[in-house]
Amino acid sequence: MLQEVKNDIIENLGLDQQNDLLDFLVDGSSRYIKDIKLNFKTALDVEHMTAKEAHLTGLAIAVNNKSSKLISFFQKKCAELEATEAEIAEVIACASLLSANNIFYRFRHFVDSDKYDSIPAKIRMNIMAKPVLGKEFFELISLAVSAANGCEMCVKSHEKSVKSFGSGEQRIFDAIRIASVVTSIDKLLL
Amino acid sequence: MSNRVLNVGSKFPAFNKIACVSLEKGKEFANVSNEDHQKNDQWMVMFWWPKDFTFVCPTEIAEFNAAYEEFRDRDTQLLGASTDSEFVHLAWRNDHDDLRGLKFPMIADTSKSLAEELGVLEAEEKIALRATFIVDPQGIIRWVAVNDLNVGRNVKEVIRVLDALQTDELCPCNWEKGEETLTAALAAN
Repeated sequence: MLQEVKNDIIENLGLDQQNDLLDFLVDGSSRYIKDIKLNFKTALDVEHMTAKEAHLTGLAIAVNNKSSKLISFFQKKCAELEATEAEIAEVIACASLLSANNIFYRFRHFVDSDKYDSIPAKIRMNIMAKPVLGKEFFELISLAVSAANGCEMCVKSHEKSVKSFGSGEQRIFDAIRIASVVTSIDKLLL
Repeated sequence: MSNRVLNVGSKFPAFNKIACVSLEKGKEFANVSNEDHQKNDQWMVMFWWPKDFTFVCPTEIAEFNAAYEEFRDRDTQLLGASTDSEFVHLAWRNDHDDLRGLKFPMIADTSKSLAEELGVLEAEEKIALRATFIVDPQGIIRWVAVNDLNVGRNVKEVIRVLDALQTDELCPCNWEKGEETLTAALAAN
């Protein structure tokens, strides 16, 4: 039975048959393989985001995690859901830039010294100015990536920023769930 | 004649000038206007020199040209200008090894109208001082530097200023201080 669940996952994600960690779960009769399949489905089929938004968020997390298998899965899905090349490019750019900002600002927040606030950042963030995804969604993806990278102040600031555009906790939590579950499935793909 | 240089915050004057853009026969000249960079949502760097066929100029112009890609990567249209005519520009480019491969237009402000409006005409000879302007995509002057006739420029400094002007910390991660202003700015954009 668990073998079938594994096959479903593999088919859905377009993976190779050989997958060591999933095989460990099957061989050891871990019910977690069922849970992760359901978690993944639940995370991407959400109420407060469109399917396209959900998969673009997944793509950002896959890029942030450097997960080549999930990147190709989400990239394909996003295209099927009629995400434009510009939108996909922006999600990839956003994930990359935020991974820089998460390190940079996390350092400032950790150290908490005024000195570093007065030295220019010299990191170009111009793509944040007029995103093709719209500011709210760009911020939402930034929030999801910041959560994945564990920067407290970035998470707090982007959460506030998303809310300033009128979005509520439900939508924000949908994005965070995607970040969490996509990362958890990524751990099983070697 | 006004000797007051247009300053930071002023609108860069409208212009439409012939420029020498190439050595290729039939494609030597093209019109360049203040709207070109704005149309493409680009910045503009315009630098002036006093006279073609002098010694300081080609070094400086070649230096700007060597940094052409730096400007391109910063979404910036690079323009050179003097009060010489387009034909003098062309002759100079043909004549000088360092100028043959120029990648940016050389504007011919033959009427001196633009140099005068910018306030960079030298009083005695009515030739342009070594002025450099950085103009944002909205057409507003964001930086001006004017050197006397014989003082060359540092292109790296122009790029440093351009970087500083373009690199805002737009990320809300930086919102701890002056938060309201940034929120308002972000919402307004």
